[in-house]
Amino acid sequence: MNDISPKERLFRVLEKKTVDRPPVICPGGMMNSATVDVMKECGASFPTVHHSAEAMERLSSSVQTRTGFENFGIPYCMTVEAEVLGSEIDFGNEECEPKIAKERYEFSRDVPIHDVKKLVKEGRIEAIAKAGYEIGRKNPDIPVIGSLTGPVSTAASIVDPMTFLKELRRDKENANRVLDYVADFLIEYAKVLVESGFPVITIADPTATGEILGPKMFGDYAVPYLNKLVDGIHALDTPVIVHICGRLESVEKHLAGIHADAISTDAMVNLKNIKAACGVGTVMGNLSTFALQLQTPDVIQRATEKLLSDKIDIISPACGLSTTTPADNIRVMTETVKQSG
Amino acid sequence: MATEQELHQGLYDAVVDMDEEQSAELASEVVKAGYDAYAAIEQGLSKGMDKVGELYEQEEYFIPELLLCSDAMYAGIDILKPHIVREETRVQHKVVIGVVEGDTHDIGKNLVKIMLESAGFEVIDLGRDIKAQAFIDAAEENGAEIIALSTLMTTAMPSMQEVVELLEKQDKRDKYKVLIGGGPISPNFAKKIRADAYASTAAEAARIAKDFAAAEEAALQSA
Repeated sequence: MNDISPKERLFRVLEKKTVDRPPVICPGGMMNSATVDVMKECGASFPTVHHSAEAMERLSSSVQTRTGFENFGIPYCMTVEAEVLGSEIDFGNEECEPKIAKERYEFSRDVPIHDVKKLVKEGRIEAIAKAGYEIGRKNPDIPVIGSLTGPVSTAASIVDPMTFLKELRRDKENANRVLDYVADFLIEYAKVLVESGFPVITIADPTATGEILGPKMFGDYAVPYLNKLVDGIHALDTPVIVHICGRLESVEKHLAGIHADAISTDAMVNLKNIKAACGVGTVMGNLSTFALQLQTPDVIQRATEKLLSDKIDIISPACGLSTTTPADNIRVMTETVKQSG
Repeated sequence: MATEQELHQGLYDAVVDMDEEQSAELASEVVKAGYDAYAAIEQGLSKGMDKVGELYEQEEYFIPELLLCSDAMYAGIDILKPHIVREETRVQHKVVIGVVEGDTHDIGKNLVKIMLESAGFEVIDLGRDIKAQAFIDAAEENGAEIIALSTLMTTAMPSMQEVVELLEKQDKRDKYKVLIGGGPISPNFAKKIRADAYASTAAEAARIAKDFAAAEEAALQSA
């Protein structure tokens, strides 16, 4: 396996085949990997980069070269979906990623159903697809990962989130209607990305956590809609990584029921135990992003070595990187993994 | 006709059971019967919300439940509030709260607001993505004693530090207790930026705020 490419290594891990060492990746989206250092070096910076295929291509390529991550990750935020579905976006600044300024709807019952095939022609989707296509064409051996915002988080980005969370109990019919619609839209969006050459999709759904929803609602809403989306992407012959935020104790029993090819988690989760106890086949994670931002190289190296000795299948940051993370710190992480092979 | 105690228990149950209509109905009964509105809030609704806070900490309830319970509490409070007999001696402590500049995630802030209000504080909610000086201006204008800052984003954490530093620069640091919290926040970070306290949950934030208020009352009495 001397000449195994990063793309092949990631595919093999997601197919549960043996590899020489774990891939080390950072998928983008919520798990943003773009830092101010790299933006300055390549001249493609937040917030203008979010709108330009050419700038995204430049930034993601530079992030890959500079950090050593074995993938490209686009986009750099979780607002692409909500923007298309009508919410007002605050595009942030040089250091701060875009966020929702105002959700489009007050209640779930106010959400109209539009044709998802038309929706995917709107907003930044085309630019993201084009950036991924160009990067993939020029770098056939390194996977371009497309990052989606999960169904519950997207729904809570177009309907006022406080109201939406209450409606999961009080207006189940409309909450389900919105989630169904959002999942259909996300499948269509994933299809555009896959057709543009994104070989792997990652979903992060930070509103759909055990800590926010509790085990019952996680089972009633997060799991079925994540699975609807994952199944839709699997139908395109494309593997899916699902990232779950926060502590997992309350939802451990649901993890094995998620159809993802790998489960990624936050820093406080003991991935080794999750893998052993919860029937989760392939796990990804979970180097503290605080360590990456604030710690010295020797601490980062030791933390990476711990993940390697715990036999974590895919090594990655535990969350989105702070944009002020030093690129050299990330480099220590990726080099440590690469030297382990 | 229900006794006052029965109504208090009913209000408590309505909050814990997330029953907005029942809470409003019983609150109207309190008013009709001429019972003390303040006691109904304190002994019924607030106590119910305390129980909800406990259930939340025990992971029996999660955020959707907590929000629905608070709706039930507010439904009762809205009806009872106009009937509170003002007592000069009753001091209501004030808290200015908001999500700091650079962040719009406000679920956590809203939970803290609910727990503070149910603990008897008057809460001035500035909303989300709030500039450092706006916290100070609001605290000054309203005569607040506590400034509560929230963020979910690491990139917005320096905005918390800015609030403390502005207070120091403007010689107002001793006038306010600064309480911080949110996903990426730690006790160490609170210490580093010289905030007065860190709270890991909404219920803890309310407990700490009560301690601050009690300490201030004690200081006033001994002065």
